[in-house]
Parts: sequence; C-alpha cells; structure tokens
Amino acid sequence: MTAMTIPPVQDETSAPFWEAAREGRFLIQRCPETGRFQWYPRAHSIHAPHARPEWVEASGRGELLTYSVVHRGNQRGDPYVCALIRLEEGVTVFSRVEGVAEADLRAGLPLAVAFHQLDDATSLPVFRPRTPD
Amino acid sequence: MIDLSGKAAIAGVFESPRRDAPRVHPFALQMECILGALDDAGLTLKDVDGLCAASGDWAEGGSTMDVVELAEYIGIAPTYVNSTDVGGCSYILQAGQAAAAIATGLAEVVVISYAACPRWWPLSSPSFDPFVFPAGPGQYEIPYAPTLISTYGLFARRHMDLYGTTPEQLAQVAVTFREHAAQNPNARLRKPITVDDVLASPMIASPLHRLDCCVVTDGGGAVVMTSRERARDLKKPPVHLVGYGAAVARTQNSQIPDDLTTPAALSGPRAFAMAGVTPGEIDVAQIYDAFTITPMLALEDLGFCGRGESGAFVADGNLTLGGSLPTNTDGGGLSSNHPGKRGIFTLIESVRQLRGEGPGVQVPDARLALAHGLGGTFCSAATAILAR
Repeated sequence: MTAMTIPPVQDETSAPFWEAAREGRFLIQRCPETGRFQWYPRAHSIHAPHARPEWVEASGRGELLTYSVVHRGNQRGDPYVCALIRLEEGVTVFSRVEGVAEADLRAGLPLAVAFHQLDDATSLPVFRPRTPD
Repeated sequence: MIDLSGKAAIAGVFESPRRDAPRVHPFALQMECILGALDDAGLTLKDVDGLCAASGDWAEGGSTMDVVELAEYIGIAPTYVNSTDVGGCSYILQAGQAAAAIATGLAEVVVISYAACPRWWPLSSPSFDPFVFPAGPGQYEIPYAPTLISTYGLFARRHMDLYGTTPEQLAQVAVTFREHAAQNPNARLRKPITVDDVLASPMIASPLHRLDCCVVTDGGGAVVMTSRERARDLKKPPVHLVGYGAAVARTQNSQIPDDLTTPAALSGPRAFAMAGVTPGEIDVAQIYDAFTITPMLALEDLGFCGRGESGAFVADGNLTLGGSLPTNTDGGGLSSNHPGKRGIFTLIESVRQLRGEGPGVQVPDARLALAHGLGGTFCSAATAILAR
C-alpha cells in the first residue's frame, strides 16, 4: 500500500477501535441516550454530551460519497484514492478506496471494509468494491 | 452592546512586491511590511500599541509564542496582541477583533502582519500541523495520507455530482483571475491562459489540475488599524470596517457536511448584518482562492449566488471587471501570490480598490468592498466588509 506511513497515536478512547481492527472488525460508536451513531470516536456523545458512547460493530458496508485520486502528493508512489464513505449506519468516514480503476469510481459505488496490517499494533481499515445487496 | 460598524478604520496597508525572498527570514519580511504599512498611514512604530500575527505555522518563522517573538524582533512591547490562528483567514478575524479592541479602548493603533517564505524554508512541516497530526481526531484520517489538495478534490468532486458543475467552470475561475493578474506587475503569473490550458495541465488530485491550484510564493503584507477619529487625520483617506463575521467548524474530512456548506455561511451573514448591506451592494470582492473550488463555495455561502449555482455564476463572467462582482482584482492566490495564509492580501487589495490604487485591474469608483477568507480546508471562515 502506497503512502500510508504515519501510524495512529492510539489512546484510551480509541484503544477498543484499534483492538477490534486488529481482529478484522470495524467499530463505530452509538449514543446510549439517543441511539444515534457517531464518527469519529470520542470520549463523549456529540448527541448527549454527558453520555459515554458505546462501541458497536458496524456492518462494514457503505457507498462512495466523494473521492479524490492523488496523482501528485507529498510522497512518491502510485496514485491512491482518498474518499468519503457513507456507512449503512448513516455516518461518514474518511478512508482509502482500493481495487477500483479510476475510470470506474463514481458516487454511490457499493463498498465494504477490508483491513491492512501496518504493524503489530495497527490494522488500518480501507474500502473495496462489493456486490450490491 | 457596542455597535462595532464603522468604529475602526484601516489607515495603512502594504504588500511586499517580493515573490521570491531567498534566505530572508519571514520576520525580516514582516518588518518591511509593517514599516511600509505605517508609512502608508503616516504613523511610526512608536504609535503602535497592538500587534496581531499568526506566524507559528510552517515557513512563517515563529514558534508557539509567535507574537511574542515577533514583538521582540520588531522592537516593541505591545499591550494588545492576538495570535489566533484559524488558517488563511486569521488576519481577517484579527482585523475584526482589533476593531473591537479599538472600539473598547483596549488598543489605539493595531498592526496586523503576515509573511511566509515557503520557497526556501528548510524545515519540514511540524508534526503538530493539524493536517499531519495522527493523534486524537486525526488518528482516523492521517494514516491514509490525505493531501491538502485531495481534500479540496473531495469538495470539488461532490459539487460536480450534486450540482452538475463542470471542470470547465472550475477552470474559468483560474482563467478570470489570470486576466486580472496580467495587469498586476507584481503578480507571479501574468501570461493569459485558457480553459483548455487548465484542463491540459497535470492532474494533481482529481478533479483538480495544476492550474486549478494557487501559486507558491514567498511574500507578506501588513495592515494598520485605528479609530475612526484618529484615522480621519492621517495621510491616506480611511477605509472603515463596517461589517465583520467569523466562524470555525471542523478539521476532519469525515465532518464535511453533505451539502458542502462551509463556515462562510455563518461568517457572511453576520458581516452583512453588521454592515446593514446586502451582497448585491458590494462593488468589489477579494475572496480567498487557494484552489478554483475555493471561491466558488464562498460565493454560494456568502449569498452572491444560490447553492450549487457558482459554476454558472463564474462562467457567466460575473467575477470579471465589468461583471456584477469583480473579484480578486490583483490576480488572487491562483496567479498573484500565495505564501500559505493569504487572507491579509484580501484586506490589502480591498483597501487599494477603495482608494483607487489597485495594482491590477481597478474597479471604477468602488465604495463597498468584501474581503473573505477561509482557513485549512473550509475549516474556518472570516468576512470583512469595508467602506470608504
């Protein structure tokens, strides 16, 4: 994988997310008071600020919202696709899209999560095409 | 509550003509600009009791105590300071807050100053830059190596999908501002370009080509503000700050709103309300143009056109001299200069237009000007409305 070299600084809040990612599971957070999902993970619920969000496993399915193919970036390497993906749960995440030719990228493309092992501590979620349901 | 409109004025401005300043420390460039702006106002360093700067970012020369370092370098001990850094529009935000400080007696003569020298700066971007900082919120995005341009690409691509905006309409922004730069002897790029030239230039981060991107120059500028009363008797006719608004919203890409609304939708209406004017009354605008998509979203959020209509608005020639909203009359960041945070130049060119001193194209008898900037990747926004 090109130009994916800055490992995340994991902390108390994010530890469950990265631990699950190492096991190939993609977690998001849900507000215990409103039932609403949130991304990115925080120590508090943005829907009920005094509530502590709970972790739930996401379906890992979503669709491409928008993207940009980095042809000339900060590092040498092949072009790569930065993207916003709308998950089925309704939250938007930023990630990479892999396994799709540039000409075939389009909003609404069905995607599913996959994982890249960066090092012993980190598996990084990325998104790849899936067959529509 | 104090009615801030018209209480403070810009009395002096200076833009460095430099576009390359090899081995010049940015503080030395700031000093040239500060002295230039004070001379323009007919004031001296002895008159200055307020200093605003945001000089701790890459290639700006300062560190985390930037305004203290700069005060020392200049040789003053200001009693009012502001080093709030919200990105490229910081200096517009600082102008609004300086007006409040002047109106309440906290300060009398405030200098707002900026310079950066990215073309020779030898250090790499600090690891605490929000766009490379992989901790906290950034730990979920920075490992994917987003570039600043690719984030603008996310906005541009979605604007195309939602509203049918075309690459040709984006390119027209660059073509228009280059026409203005062609008349500005200090502009970095002055040779006229066509839409085809933009589309034929190398793709940087789709859908943005090289000519959809700003120039990278060294450079700097400074603005001197004081009270309406004091400004009346100075060397140049005063330009009054009659409207101001600012807002901050997000840094992470995952938080980009679906309809691409930016904080300009908050800063703009506040500025227009304070000034008591509508977008249709603005004679000339300086709107931050880091990339071609940048001013387009601002035109929508500020109310110069409807949501999704900026592509047609630009293609119809509204931003040209003689159009309904002559914009970036100096050539803007796309053609004139862009050291990194060019918000101060939107103030400086607004003042020059209102005085009839535009170095590029000059709008005849301009009375009401808008200076608008954003920070980061539409993370923040600040809007000023200026009148002579």
